[in-house]
Amino acid sequence: MTAVAVSDRARTGRRAALLSAVIVVQTLCAIFFLGDVIGDLVGDGQFEGPHKWVEIVAGLAMVGGVAFLIFELRRVMNRVAILENATRAAQGEMADVIEAFFDEWNLTASERDVALLMLKGIENDEIARIRGTASGTVRAQGAAVFRKAGVDGRPQLFSIFMEELLAGE
Amino acid sequence: MTEVASTTSGARDRRAPDGVTSVKVWDPVVRLTHWGVAAAVLGCSFLFEPEGNGADLHQLFGYVGVGLVVLRLVWGLVGPRHARLSSFPPNPMAALRHLTDLHRGRRHVHLSHNPAGALMVYNLWASVIAMGVTGYMMGTVAFFGIDWVEEAHEVIYGWIMVSVVLHLAGIVLDTVLTRVPLVPAMITGRKRVPTDRLG
Repeated sequence: MTAVAVSDRARTGRRAALLSAVIVVQTLCAIFFLGDVIGDLVGDGQFEGPHKWVEIVAGLAMVGGVAFLIFELRRVMNRVAILENATRAAQGEMADVIEAFFDEWNLTASERDVALLMLKGIENDEIARIRGTASGTVRAQGAAVFRKAGVDGRPQLFSIFMEELLAGE
Repeated sequence: MTEVASTTSGARDRRAPDGVTSVKVWDPVVRLTHWGVAAAVLGCSFLFEPEGNGADLHQLFGYVGVGLVVLRLVWGLVGPRHARLSSFPPNPMAALRHLTDLHRGRRHVHLSHNPAGALMVYNLWASVIAMGVTGYMMGTVAFFGIDWVEEAHEVIYGWIMVSVVLHLAGIVLDTVLTRVPLVPAMITGRKRVPTDRLG
């Protein structure tokens, strides 16, 4: 859920950047076209034939196009903002959910740290290095976490939170 | 003027290192128009002389510069919060107050432009448009060869060069005093603000 939101956010961010670039280029084109028309109008007074009308329509169409793109870009940017908030909310809520389970299992402070690092997919040896303890200690703390949580290993520990996420949908 | 203390923008990022909060401030349109105008000014000033074989490109870069300023002004009306003109209204008194505050060691962090920077922004925009208008006039039948138009184009050019130097000096000063790196902010769109200044 969260991963989807993150990749969605990155995609919408790229879309916003692309739209902006198109807006910049198209604005310049629109100004060029309209400037040409106005120059013809006030400049030499030669303003005849269907050609000029084609230019005017084309120029106005480009201005309309820019206006539409700006509107679209604002929509995309709002979407990015909403996704960012949603992601943050999801992250915050997940952290709360995890904390609640840890409380329920009566984990000690060290066990909480180890359990959280496990949930982040970090290997026992790495956890030992991060916490500056022996890897035997981490194995023992991990075993205590599994015992208190009533599971027989990491996959089952994950599945508890996975289930919580899916149930939350 | 959006002062940080009064804003809790939704666009904070947790990934910034401790003690620093990364806040999304400049959207892609702001950044593209900023660097585009900078490139147009540089191109017109140093790369393509108005006389000789660079004349066409000089004009083209001039049009591009004015076009980008026009787009930025429209974006200043309809764009997101920090890009809006209403986030940094031209206010000489506020600018003066900002400078005296800096002098006294009170260093407010502004998410949009600071009041002094805002004045510079309007000054640069007006100057670029004035360059475009006088430059265009020089090419018209009615004003071709008229002295004061040419004179004005050159005086404003001098003014832009002075402004650019002041602009750069202001960036350096603000970056040093508030510890918010402004140049990376205009490239990545995110201001890295020391968290204790977010209030």
